[in-house]
Amino acid sequence: MAAWIPVGAILVLVTHLSGRMPYLEAATVMTPALVVFAFVCLSPFYVCKSLPLRSVPRGKLMTHHCAAALLLSAGVIVIGRLTATLLNPTFRGIEGRFVTAAPVLAVMVLLVYEMSVALHYAALELEASRRSEILARESQLKALKAQVNPHFLFNSLNSISALTAINPAEAREMCIRLADFLRTSLRLGERVTIPLAEELGLTRMYLDVEQVRFGGKLRVVEDVNPACSNCTVPALVIQPLVENAVKHGIAMMDEGGEIRMSVQHEQDRMRFTISNPYDPEAPSTGRNGIGLRNIRERLEAFYGSAARLDIHVEERLYQVTMTIPVRMHK
Amino acid sequence: MKLRAVMADDEDLARRLLREYLSAEPDIEIVAECSNGFEAVKAINEVKPDLVFLDIQMPKLDGFEVLELIDESVAVVFVTAFDQYAMKAFDAAAVDYLLKPFPVERLRLALSKVRDRKPGALPADLRQAARAPGEYLERIVVKDGPRVHVIPAGKLDYAESQDDYVALRSDGKSWLKQQTISSLEAALDPRRFIRLHRGYLVNVERIARIDVNTKDTWVALLTDGSKVPVSRAGYGKFREIVGAE
Repeated sequence: MAAWIPVGAILVLVTHLSGRMPYLEAATVMTPALVVFAFVCLSPFYVCKSLPLRSVPRGKLMTHHCAAALLLSAGVIVIGRLTATLLNPTFRGIEGRFVTAAPVLAVMVLLVYEMSVALHYAALELEASRRSEILARESQLKALKAQVNPHFLFNSLNSISALTAINPAEAREMCIRLADFLRTSLRLGERVTIPLAEELGLTRMYLDVEQVRFGGKLRVVEDVNPACSNCTVPALVIQPLVENAVKHGIAMMDEGGEIRMSVQHEQDRMRFTISNPYDPEAPSTGRNGIGLRNIRERLEAFYGSAARLDIHVEERLYQVTMTIPVRMHK
Repeated sequence: MKLRAVMADDEDLARRLLREYLSAEPDIEIVAECSNGFEAVKAINEVKPDLVFLDIQMPKLDGFEVLELIDESVAVVFVTAFDQYAMKAFDAAAVDYLLKPFPVERLRLALSKVRDRKPGALPADLRQAARAPGEYLERIVVKDGPRVHVIPAGKLDYAESQDDYVALRSDGKSWLKQQTISSLEAALDPRRFIRLHRGYLVNVERIARIDVNTKDTWVALLTDGSKVPVSRAGYGKFREIVGAE
C-alpha cells in the first residue's frame, strides 16, 4: 500500500499543475478517486493471471488491457468530477479547474495502469521461472528414486531362483540381462537428458528381463522412425511408461497381450505412443496415477507447456502418447 | 495325513519353483494350480484343500479378494514379491507369508506352522490392514453360487445389514455377502458412502433427497426410488459431507 503514496502524489501534482489549483485543493479533490484507483489497480494482478503472457494472443492482450485502462481512467475522472461538484461550495470554482485538469489526468491514469500491468507481468514471470527451477530439481530426484521398482526386482530374482534348477543356462542369461538393465539405468539416471536411442535401449533391456518372467504372455511390436534416434529426451521418461504397460496391462491379462510402441516425427514435434491391452475389470494394482503424474511433472519442468502426455482409454486398450519438441543431441 | 494344497500364482516360473520345492515334501499333494483369482476361488471351493499358496497380484481377483470368497478353515500362506503394506498386515495378523524369492527352508518353516495350526479363521480385516492410508476399496467381490460377481464401488447404491450378512444393492439387483456393515463401511471411502442409519450404508451420489419422517428421524429417497431410514447421527453425517462440499 505504501507504494501508492508516490503514485498518488504524482497524480495530485498533475492535477495541481494542469488545473492551476492549490495543493490542498488538488489533494482533497483527488482523495476519493485515488482510494478507488488504488484498489482497482490491484486488479491488473488478476487480469494478468487470467491472461498469461505466453499463451494468450497479442491482440487479445492489447484489447483487454486497453479496455481495462480506459474504464479505470473514465472512473477516476467521473469520481473526481463528482467530488469537485460536492466541494464547489468550499473551494470556489474548483469544478471548472478540475475540468481543465481532466484530460492530462486521464492520460496519466492510463500510463500508471499500464505500468502496473507491466510490473505484474514481470513479477509473474519471475515466479514462474523460480517454480520451474524447483520443479526441475524435484523431478530429477523423483527420477532417481523411481529408477528401479522393487516389485520388479524381487519378481525377477524369483524367476532366477526358479530357473537355477529348471534351466541353469537361462538362469545365468537372466542374471546378465538384469545386471545390464540395472547398470544402464543407474548410468542414465545420472544424466538429465539422453538421446532417444539410449532410452529405447534401456526399455528393451527392461523388456528382455520381463520376457523371461512372462514368456509368451508378453509380445512387443516396435515402430521407430530412425530419424528420431538422435533426438533428446529427459532420461528415464519412456522406460516407466513401458513398465506401466507391463504391470497394469499385460500382467493383469490372463492370456497376456501385445505392447505396441511407436516413435514418429512431425515437423518440430516428436511423438512417442505406447498401447497395451488391459482388463477394465482387473483388481487395482495400486498407486496407478503416481507414475504418470510424475512423468507429466518432469515434462512440464523440461518443456513447459510445449510437451503433452495424453491418455486414451478404449474399451480394452490403454494408450499413452507423449509429445515433446524435437531437440537434437549434440 | 497328507495335506492337499492349491497354488495360485499368475507366473509360470513362480509355480514351477514352488512345485519343485514341494516335491521334496512327501506329505504335501498339489491338487490344483491356478493362474488367476477366478480360477483360484473356483478350485478352492471345489476341491476344498487344506492349504493354499496365494499370490497377491493376479489377474481377475487379487489375493485378498480370493481370501474373502473362500472357506475360512483353509490354511492360507501368502506368497508375494514386495508390498510394504501387505507385509505389515501379515505381521499384524500372524498369517504366514513367503517373500519371493524364498529358500526351501523358509517354505518348510511355513509348512510346519500349517501342520501345527489350530483351527481358526483369518482376521476378516486383513485386507483393510494391508491398504495404504487414504486408499479405499474400489470394488466389492461377492460369491454368486459357483461364480464370482464384482461390484465396482461406484455402482453400489446402498448396503443393508442383515444379521451376519450385508445385502448389497446394485443395478437393480441384490447380492448377499457375509460381512458386517461396519467392516464394509470402514473399507469404503467415507466421502462417498455414509452410514445414514445403523443398518444402512448409502452411496452419497444416490441420495435424491431427505425428508422429515417423525420428530427425530428422517427418510432418504434414493434415485432408484427406494427409501432408506435416516437416524439423527446419520442425518448429522449427511449434512457434514454435503455442507463440506
